[in-house]
Order: sequence, then C-alpha cells, then structure tokens
Amino acid sequence: MKSLDKLDSHLKTRLRDLSKAKEQGRKVIGYPAGGYLPEELVLACDAIPICFIQAGDNAVLRDAGNYVCRWFDPFWRSQIGYLTSRKDPYYEIVDLIAIPITDNHVRAFSNTAGCYTPEVQSFVFGVPHVKDKLALDYYLQGINRLKKKLEELTGIEITDSRIRRSIELCNRERELFREISIMRKSENFAATSKDFVALNHGSFLADKETMIDILESFIKEFKGSPPLSNNGPRILLTGPTLAQGDSKVMDIIEDTGGVIVMEEFAEGIRPYWGEVKTEGDLMANLAESYFMERVCPGWFRPGTERLDFLVKLARDYSAAGLIWYQLMYRESYKVESYFFPDKLKKETGLPMLVVESEYDAKETGRMKTRIETFMEMLTR
Amino acid sequence: MANYYDGLLRLCGFEDEDIGEERPRIDASFERLGIGPEDMETAESWVSQNHDISLQGVRKLLGAWLKELIDLVLAKDEGKKVVYFGFPSILGPGLMISASSNDVFLSAPDMVLDHTMGHIFNKLTPILEEGEKNGLPPGHALCSLWQAKIGGTVKGMIPVPDLALASSYYCDMGSKADDLVTALYGVPIAYIDGVMDSKWGEFPDYLPERVRYLGGQINQALKMAEKVLDIKIASDAWEKSQQDSQAFINNLLKLLELMKADPVPVSIVELELLEALSGTSTGRGIQEGIKAMEILIQELEERFKASVGATERGAPRVMTWVGHCTDPRVTRLVEDVGLAVPLTLTLSWVAGPTVEPKGNYTTPGEIIANSELAMGMYHGTDGAIKAFETGAKVMKLDGFSMNYLYNCRPDATLSHTTKKYLEEKTGLPVLSLEIDCFDSRTYSAASLRTKVETFAEMLKATKKSAT
Repeated sequence: MKSLDKLDSHLKTRLRDLSKAKEQGRKVIGYPAGGYLPEELVLACDAIPICFIQAGDNAVLRDAGNYVCRWFDPFWRSQIGYLTSRKDPYYEIVDLIAIPITDNHVRAFSNTAGCYTPEVQSFVFGVPHVKDKLALDYYLQGINRLKKKLEELTGIEITDSRIRRSIELCNRERELFREISIMRKSENFAATSKDFVALNHGSFLADKETMIDILESFIKEFKGSPPLSNNGPRILLTGPTLAQGDSKVMDIIEDTGGVIVMEEFAEGIRPYWGEVKTEGDLMANLAESYFMERVCPGWFRPGTERLDFLVKLARDYSAAGLIWYQLMYRESYKVESYFFPDKLKKETGLPMLVVESEYDAKETGRMKTRIETFMEMLTR
Repeated sequence: MANYYDGLLRLCGFEDEDIGEERPRIDASFERLGIGPEDMETAESWVSQNHDISLQGVRKLLGAWLKELIDLVLAKDEGKKVVYFGFPSILGPGLMISASSNDVFLSAPDMVLDHTMGHIFNKLTPILEEGEKNGLPPGHALCSLWQAKIGGTVKGMIPVPDLALASSYYCDMGSKADDLVTALYGVPIAYIDGVMDSKWGEFPDYLPERVRYLGGQINQALKMAEKVLDIKIASDAWEKSQQDSQAFINNLLKLLELMKADPVPVSIVELELLEALSGTSTGRGIQEGIKAMEILIQELEERFKASVGATERGAPRVMTWVGHCTDPRVTRLVEDVGLAVPLTLTLSWVAGPTVEPKGNYTTPGEIIANSELAMGMYHGTDGAIKAFETGAKVMKLDGFSMNYLYNCRPDATLSHTTKKYLEEKTGLPVLSLEIDCFDSRTYSAASLRTKVETFAEMLKATKKSAT
C-alpha cells in the first residue's frame, strides 16, 4: 500500500511543514469538522486549511470537563479538550479558527473558544438547518464574510481566478474520492473501509496537491489488486461523526467478520458526492454546492433527505445491514435512530443496529457483543 | 351538584360559578387525563403544601393553568384546529395566529401537562415514561419536556396537532422531536429556523442578515399556517397581539419593583407559575393569568407594606435562572435553606439592559426577529448572561444559584461560562447547579440539597461578616 504509506510519511512531517510555511508568511486556518467550510476560500488566499478531526481519547473528555458539562457529544467535548489543553498540536499552529455553527454542540465549542481562549482568533458564521432560498442566502452571506476575513488576515485579495483554481483543485479531490467510492460497490475491491477512512482523514490535514497525487496513486494501485478474502456481511456504517483516532466500531465490525462498504458521516468524512461549478458566480456556486446540493446531516430539519440517501446507499452498495454509530448526547441523531429502522426495513428489508459511544474503553465489550450478534443474524 | 374535584378547584381559584359552568368540560377532560376521586386527596395536600395558597393571586394562577389544560385536552372535540409550539419559544408567530382566528387553539402542551399533571396532581411520571418508550429513551439526556409531549400524545391525553411550529432557532432537539411526531402521526411542521451564530461577546450587536433570515422564516411559517389551518392572518394581528402582551409586561415591571423589597414578598415557586404561563399560552390561560397577576400584585403590595415576605428579612439574595416546572419542592429548596430569590430569567428581561432593536423592518417576521435578537436569549449565550449581570445590580444580589438543564443543550452551554462570566464581572459567587426542571426523578430536591445548603451557608457567612 504505497499510497497509504506516502500519506503516512506526509502527515508525519506535516506539522514541521506547516511551521515552515508560516515562517514564509503563509497563514494556517483551522476549522472544525462538519464539511461546511469551503476550503477553496482558504486555498484561494494562499492559506492552508486544517480540519480538527482528532477524537476518541477519553482522557481529553476529562480536560473538557473544566469548561463544559458532560452532556454534549464527545466529539465536540474532545475539541473543547484539545483546544484548551493544547494536546492536539494542530490547535497550536493555526492563525485563525473559522467555525461554521451548525448545532448547539458546535456552539458549545465556539463559546469555549470565545470565553476561555480569547487569545486564539476565531471567526464564526452560521449554517441554517433547513434548505430553502432564505437559508441559502444566509449561508452565502456567511461565507462572503469569511472571504473578507481571510483577505484581511492574509492580505491577499480572493479574486475569481484564484477561487476558480482552488475549486478545480478541490473538485479533483472530490472526484477521486467519488471514484474510489464507486469502485467500492464491487465485491472485488481490494481496499478496506479503514483505508478509505484513512484517506479521508488524511485529506483534512494534508497538502491538497499532495493528497490528490496520493489519491491518484491509490486508485492505480488498487485497480489491479486481487480482492480481499473477506466475504462477510456488507455493512453500511452511519452516524454523526467518525473521528481520526476513533476506530473502535470499525475494528469490531471487521473483527466480527463484517465488511464496511460505505460510510455516511457528517463529521469526519468529507462530502465528496457533488462538485462545485466553475462558471458564473463562484461564491454562489460554493454556497449551492456546500449547502444546498450536499446531503444534509442529521441535525437538519427535516432529516428526510439524509435518510433517503441512506436507503439509496444501502441499495447501491448491496448492504446486508446498517450500523448506526451513535455518539452519546447528539440528540438529533438519537431521535432519528428511533424512527429510521422502520423506513429502512420497509424500503430495503434491511435490519439496523444502533451502537453508542462516549469514547470509553468500558463500552467496548458491550459494543462487541451487540455487533457480533448482529453479524450472526446477518450471516444466518 | 357537587363533584369530587370541587374542593381542589376552589383551592385553585375557581369560583363556584366557574365550576358549574365548566362542569361538563371538566368531567370530559379529567376522564381523558385519568384523573379521578382517588387523586383528590393527594392533589389537595400537594397544592396546599407546596404553594402559598393564602394568596388569592396564586390560587387563580393555578386555576389559569387548569383552564389551559381543559381547553387543550378538549380542543379537537370542540372543533378547534390545534397548533403546538416548542418551549421556550419566540411567541410572536403564535400570538399572531391566535389573534387571527378563534378556531385555532395554540399552546405549548408539554408545559401545560408539566404545570398541571406535575405541579397540581403530581402524576407526571407515567406520562414521561410513555415518552421514554416512544422514541425518547432515558439515559441519553433527551428533553423531558418533549417526553411529556410525546407521552401525553401517545396516551391520548392531548390531541394530535394539525400543525407544529418548530422552534428551530434555539434547540436541535425540539425540531427533531417534531420530526418524530411527524413520523408517528404525519403532522405537518412549519420550521422557524434561525442560527445562534453570534460570536462570544458580540451582544448587543447583531447582523441585519440574522434579522432578515429569522424574520423571513417566521413569515414563511405564518404563510404555511394560513394554508394548513385555512385561516387568514389578520393585517393587524401583530399590533393586536402586542397590545395583549403589554398588560403582562406592565405587570412584570410592577412585580420587579416589588421584588426589590427586603424581605422578598413572594416565593419563586409562585413566580414560576406566572412566568411559564406567559411562554406557554396564547389563549384563556394567559388571559386568566394576567388577571391573577393583577390580584397577586395587589396582595404583594399589602405584604410589602406589612414587611411580610417569603423568606426572612436580610436573607442573602440570589438569582435563580428558572423554577421547576413540575415539582415545586425543587424550586422551594433555595428558599428552604434561607436564600431569597428576587430575580429570575423572566424578570431579568425587564431588569436587564434595554437594548433597542436596530434598523427598520416592515414585515411582521422581521419585526419579531429584530425584537427577539435585541432581547438576548435567542441571540447567543453571552446575550442571555449579560442580562443577569445588569439584573444583579438592580436587585442588589449577593450571588447566583444558576440551575442549568442538563438535557437542554442551549441551556447546558451555560454550565461553566455563566459562572466564569458572572463571577468575573460582578464579583459575586455563582453556584452552577445541574438540574432537570421538567422531571425531578433524578434531580430531586433531596439530591440537590447539600450543594444548595453549603452555598447558602457561605453566602450567609459572607453577609454577616460584611455587616
């Protein structure tokens, strides 16, 4: 797996590379996961986007406990923990944190940044929870303010030609992720879900051109490879967040004989199914693609678009079952996990299993038993 | 002819004439709620023990809640179209719909169930449990207000609404639970979306696009309400609803003056009944509530003259964010340990800084949105907290007992930031108290007592040493 080795080597020196870039006057823009920050705008002013996607360490939640009560999604408490404890070095290196406010879990993170770490410059803009013209306009106004902020910070005017170049770059990255995803429909595909997730997580931190090179190599490498020997149940994995460092559920599914054929997550997996048009009003195109065309996360109201998409994915990827990876206290997902199984059953005949996590080692045994039983049921 | 509930209703401010007139409706609604003669002894002693029924205004307030309950339970049977909104809520759209049609019953039914089945009958638990069985399980910090709404609906106590007005500008849970109601019953939803995307410290400023977005969403919801309910929102509906609300605001200002007294003349338990009603009812409940408020103010003026209060003179004065909506014992706890509570969230709106809405907007939605953003609560976390800071000076506080709802994410964001902010800005001590003010099964008065007691002792010692 040369391409994944290359990604690994690249990420090992990434912080050093970022420091050097900063010495040369480039800015590093951090942003939390969720897929609502158009990286194109950051790239267009020669800055470097870095997405905070690390989580899974229960000790960091204890750090967060000094700033917020425990009743928030552990991924977002992790971000609060990393921000305040500086245990994630990427938080240390950024010049600005740009925060698209999606739901109240993100707002808790944003409040902490403003209240407890005012020395870290932050910029917020809102992501509405419904899809209509008013909401699209509001999102567009938000990213226009972001553009202005980035211009002020970097001193570089974000012209149309700069945006177009960065859209083309990001479109290429999305296209490659799509290509890999389509390859994964085949029973003969040689790469695992973990490989795909590693690419995705890597793409949030890596240099964009290097990442494209890695993705191209990955596709070439795996096109001719022999298929994996695992013929276990094909699993569609979904949930709010799949963070870097939180591989427990994937490990258990693989260990119990399952094959994850597709992941649908709002945070931790890059939205790659669409692309941004390069003609006409480019800011409007970004808003259209990032806000309207992208399949909405579970905290949108209603969440039917995402639930329909899950049904489609289940069919397209010939899934045998769906595992809903619920992070504790992410209430919008929890409520949907109650009524979605009926819809899934009705439309595809597939069963669904909900497993829950608060990044706690103690939950592993229970999670394993539940997934094991689910797999047994699927293979019967 | 007398009936088993007459005594309780008299205790709750009903006149004999009211009972006589309402009897068929009371019978029908109590039957649907599963309230019978066997519940009266408990309810009467629960009300007597936990409320200051020596005040006629308090009894009338309890009565206003019961009348709201009866109207809610029978709304569909009586041919009304039923609309539910979430709590807390921007009330403007609901008031406008209510002002435009007598055929629509519009309320926050969960709050009604909490204040009646909880506050009066102490019978909320089975309703909450039904909600837990139907999509909102325990152990996940899901909203217990919503558990009551779902539970009450599944049990057939309250009607399935014709339309839900989803408060998508504040909490994520409410709108998603509205989706659950749709999944269960096919109820159409008018989402009023907004984004609390203010930067920390931004209040009282806000961007005009926030007004336009939230306002536009309100306008869209009103259009949808017209279509679904087959009504026409009257052109003067906003002005009319404002006139109706003005009486409440005026009374609140009078109440604020009375609460400055030492001793504080009334318990927060009773204030909670009043404050919650104003965010719940758009119909008879609030109309009766305003009348009760007027009686209460007169009674408190008498108490003020006689230097009579709910707590001892000289008791340390603290602000409490909100009272308990189902179990008055939890609210009373703060006073039981010797603290006076002259300031609450609702009073802080009139005690806090007056932020004039900015800009000129012409549509009803934008006017409502502009006014709400200037108020702070729907602006962002620091918008809410800043009102407490000003309120502390006005009400001469000695500290804050800030109870945040663990299972309400917008509220839980206050858990640590409020303490830090208020302690730094006011120099006063802040107790950050985790509660569930819609369900006392886990966060009971007994479980909270040690914390509040210790805080009270500290405040008393500080006050004593200062004098």
